[in-house]
Amino acid sequence: MLLLGIVLLVSCTSSGGGDPAKVVTQYLQAKVSADQKTMQGLLCSSMEANLEQEASSFAGLDAKLQDVTCTRQGDSNIVACTGKIVATYGTEQTDFPLVSYKVVQEDGAWKWCGEADAGTEAP
Amino acid sequence: MVILLAVGLWTARVSFADTRFVTTPYQQIVLYKGPGTTYLQLAKIQAGVPLTIIERNSVGTWVHVQQARNVGTTIINDGWVISGYLNFDLDFHFGDVPVNTTLPDADADSDMSQLHDLYLVPVIPTISDAMRAVYQHGHDDLRNYSYVITKVGDSMTADDLYLKPMSRDDNVLRPYDYLGDAVSYFGASTSVDSVAARVGMTTYTVFDPTWADKSVCHPRETPLDCEYRRKRPSIALIMFGVNDLKRMDDVHFDQQMRKIVDDSIQHGVIPVLSTFSYDPAQPLWLQSVLFNRRLVKIAADEQVPIINLWLAARSLPYYGLEDDDIHMKHWGFGYLKFDHGSAAYSGAALRNLLSIRTLDEIRRTVILNAQNSPASAATPEITQPATPEITASP
Repeated sequence: MLLLGIVLLVSCTSSGGGDPAKVVTQYLQAKVSADQKTMQGLLCSSMEANLEQEASSFAGLDAKLQDVTCTRQGDSNIVACTGKIVATYGTEQTDFPLVSYKVVQEDGAWKWCGEADAGTEAP
Repeated sequence: MVILLAVGLWTARVSFADTRFVTTPYQQIVLYKGPGTTYLQLAKIQAGVPLTIIERNSVGTWVHVQQARNVGTTIINDGWVISGYLNFDLDFHFGDVPVNTTLPDADADSDMSQLHDLYLVPVIPTISDAMRAVYQHGHDDLRNYSYVITKVGDSMTADDLYLKPMSRDDNVLRPYDYLGDAVSYFGASTSVDSVAARVGMTTYTVFDPTWADKSVCHPRETPLDCEYRRKRPSIALIMFGVNDLKRMDDVHFDQQMRKIVDDSIQHGVIPVLSTFSYDPAQPLWLQSVLFNRRLVKIAADEQVPIINLWLAARSLPYYGLEDDDIHMKHWGFGYLKFDHGSAAYSGAALRNLLSIRTLDEIRRTVILNAQNSPASAATPEITQPATPEITASP
């Protein structure tokens, strides 16, 4: 957690139902930690079927977030992140650059909803 | 007496008509009743003993040999040996040796445990009509490239020494030079890395856009879809299992593999599955058997080809594996080198050999057949491309 506090720089823009940038960061952290329970609470309903796949993405690997900054794009439902996931398998290190993610509001709370398509979507 | 003399003359004529087929083992070898280590052991043959090759299995990794008391006399040993332990002259070519089509690759009845089903599966698959239809759909409707192949899997498949050496011009195939046409035909396409084969990849992550190479893949695109969009291949060689063993049970593995197969077929790509080698002494051995049985079942259900690497590697030292119990042992060269028996001790060389042999089978029985059919006359196929066409940018 201390390491997380050091490497994460989350840019916050408030919105009803919480901070979408923070939700995305929390989701990414849960993903690299294979924390399925946390991911379940942050995943949008249209992607519920992917929960197991998402949770196993970095399971068994030594994975962490590095230099992460997430920022909501204006009032849109896009959160753009910079930084990367660094995963180590055996002695080999692989980087997974972060991109822009889609967020949706469900029951008043922001949810992570996969990668964003190119271009900004209306809220 | 007359009968014995006649039999002796007949065997002498059959066995010793062509000196190209006379060879010697370079080390002591075991003679088996059939082309696999599950068959009855008949004898041990010392290094340097002359043997005459009668026929081979579909690849050439096992040969039927006879040993005479003296040249041209009574046969005293008759059975099968691993060809990688034999010396071959420069003019020896497996392409000249008759292929045995009656003996299976294993005596499955020798093991009635859970392994029985795995022993029943041939090392090299026959190609179903369903796959001919997949190829035709990919070629005619989706404009896939016949000569482009790709690979899907984890570190063993992403390995630069798996298939990629087919693109080199310094390969030494002899005595397997009957595979030269397949290497030439598909070789150039192997020079481009696959975004669906990565270190640590599993049957889950091949569908996870996070694992897609962002420099070439679209947002939200899975590695598998990205690879098929970029290359439009006709064939994908697919092997998962070792990483998945630690992350899911065999039921989920089955689901994910079926997704890969379905996705491939939708893209008009023939998915060539493969069983994987595993050390019985390892803790997940029983799980690995379940996984491999799932692969065999999927291949049968979906009529997709499957390479039985598990079976072929059983006859290799330490099942063809490296000391890490995961990766396949390399043969020590950066190019394909099949002239010094590497497929008899290196799992990686054996896998390349079996994969190329399967590609050869698909090329001959599917691609060339389709090109020679009347319907294809209006759409000429490019047969000898310099490089595959890759849409590198999203």
